[in-house]
Amino acid sequence: MLNMKNISRIYRSDTIQTHALRDFNLEVKEGEFVAVTGPSGSGKSTFLNIAGLLDGFDQGSYELDGVNIQGLNDDNLSRLRNEKIGFIFQNYNLIPDFNLFDNIDMPLRYRGFSAAKRKHLINDALEQVGLASRVNYLPSQLSGGQQQRVAIARALAGEPKILLADEPTGNLDSLMARQVMELLHTLNEAGSTIIMVTHDPDQARAVGRNIQVIDGQITDHSVYAPAHENASIVVKS
Amino acid sequence: MEMFNYYLKLSVRNLIRNKLFFTLMISTLAVGVGVFLANIAIIKSMSADPIPHKSNKIFNVSLNIWPNDNPDAELLEIMRYDDAMHLLKNDIATHTMVHYQSQVYVRDSESTSLARHKAKVRATTQGFFPLTDAPFEFGGSWQQDRAKQLVISNQLNQQVFAGENSVGKILEIDGTPFEIVGVLKPWKLKPNFYNAAYEQAFSSADDIFAPIETAMDHEWSVDVRSSATEHIATVSDNRGKNGFFIQAYVQLDTPEQKQEMQQYLDNYSQHRKEQGEYLRANNNRLLDVNQWLTYQSVVDERMLAFGLATSLFLIVCIFNASSLLLARYHSARFETGLRRAVGARIKDVFYQGLVESLLVGMCCAVFSLLFGWLFLQISIELFPSIQRTSDIDTTLILIGIGIALVTSFISMFYPLIRSCKTPLSTTLK
Repeated sequence: MLNMKNISRIYRSDTIQTHALRDFNLEVKEGEFVAVTGPSGSGKSTFLNIAGLLDGFDQGSYELDGVNIQGLNDDNLSRLRNEKIGFIFQNYNLIPDFNLFDNIDMPLRYRGFSAAKRKHLINDALEQVGLASRVNYLPSQLSGGQQQRVAIARALAGEPKILLADEPTGNLDSLMARQVMELLHTLNEAGSTIIMVTHDPDQARAVGRNIQVIDGQITDHSVYAPAHENASIVVKS
Repeated sequence: MEMFNYYLKLSVRNLIRNKLFFTLMISTLAVGVGVFLANIAIIKSMSADPIPHKSNKIFNVSLNIWPNDNPDAELLEIMRYDDAMHLLKNDIATHTMVHYQSQVYVRDSESTSLARHKAKVRATTQGFFPLTDAPFEFGGSWQQDRAKQLVISNQLNQQVFAGENSVGKILEIDGTPFEIVGVLKPWKLKPNFYNAAYEQAFSSADDIFAPIETAMDHEWSVDVRSSATEHIATVSDNRGKNGFFIQAYVQLDTPEQKQEMQQYLDNYSQHRKEQGEYLRANNNRLLDVNQWLTYQSVVDERMLAFGLATSLFLIVCIFNASSLLLARYHSARFETGLRRAVGARIKDVFYQGLVESLLVGMCCAVFSLLFGWLFLQISIELFPSIQRTSDIDTTLILIGIGIALVTSFISMFYPLIRSCKTPLSTTLK
């Protein structure tokens, strides 16, 4: 599904070069739920931005769902983002004066779906996150947890190959965070591939696979089975 | 089309959401375009071709008849009665007309009121009407050179006869009855080429057209520049004397006609020279309508300078609007980044910006026309002479809409490019 080999990303200013990622290797298979942890500035977000085609890289190769993304132009990258990737952000990133329908409709518009199909997909997505009855609500009329579920519905609606979540519970209290995590686990059990950046070690342990990034490299790679609260370490490398 | 509608919906939402910002931006552009438009309205009227279908066939005749030997002296556009009569005898031109301007007071002879109306007179010849294509509503031209007959303008007909068919009715001028034989439709040449000399191109329209012989017989005064090299007691006294007051125009449909006419004028000039009248070399001149208007500097150079100033002002307005937009796009980069993240291409963001600029441009066009009209009214209020030179017609409205759209696009272009180039990874968390 996702295959990164020797990825390096260097940010340059006039006087400083920062190696955000160096020789970063990762393969994620279809249906996996991967947690990415690491201290601030370790390169987690850079990895997620590159994985989500929001940022480029300087060296290495990256294949997403069998497509080598090196050298693709903006049209092709945008199409890949639209068709294969669903983003879940820490700040939800909902447009405040769009109702839930219009927020979820946005990526589908760029896909060129008909109005009827978009409506069907939006209703399905809202059904999955349990907010079908609030389709005409504005984000401000929902709690933080509900807003994140709307963001998940937006990510899901286009039936992407992979969900990329950047600290999806970072702005939520523990109860709401648990609800969101349960939703992500449900989606994963239903077949969705998920990569989640998190600071929460409990959440990391609760998913199938955990990678730790320090100084732009994977330093720890643990696989748990089965994913959930009482998971135990099976492999540690 | 579906995406266009979507972008339009988003643009309307943006306009409503950022009312204050867009009010500022649209006002900035609309003031710039409005002032520019008002200026164009004046310059366009001044520089218009008053008779486009034959402006290259109608020529002002200026003869080398001034009786002095200064080689630098300008040709006179006025000629003597005898010169004019000689010109009228030519069988070269398709139409020939000579004229002078006068002013009289008229009243309806059947009216019980003694009130008289001031009227501007064009004392001319029958050739005036076919040469200028003056359109008749009722009747036609007089047929005899000394007829006590008149053609009147639509405006005077409205004033005196309430717009009815007044052909056959009598107008009293200084106690003398004159029969009306023709009434023109509403008609005004802008600029008035046959009266362009002495800054008269935008003066009020003529009310009465009368045979030149009749006007002179009745001593209707010469109301524009005239000169004489001998004492002339009355208007009719000009016959056979050196009184310069008549202007002449000819319609020459072919280059051959023009060549022949030039020869005709030169021969006449040479003939008079041989009789000891003209001391300078023959340099008689035929200028077509547009050459004549240019020669008379009908487009005021001050207006052109003002046009340059308003162009610069418009550029400043575009810069201001652009910097306002730069700030707005900066604050809206979250939404742009989000759209890009969920699959919008750079070109999608650009198209959306174009649709927004179209919407802003249309709003700007409406306000520009309003401001343009307002500025024109203020200008007319301050400088009444502008009134006859300025019109906002359909062409100008279309030009205004075009300029508003283009300025809106120009002001949005750079901010839009900047917005499209914002790195995605920096805008979303």
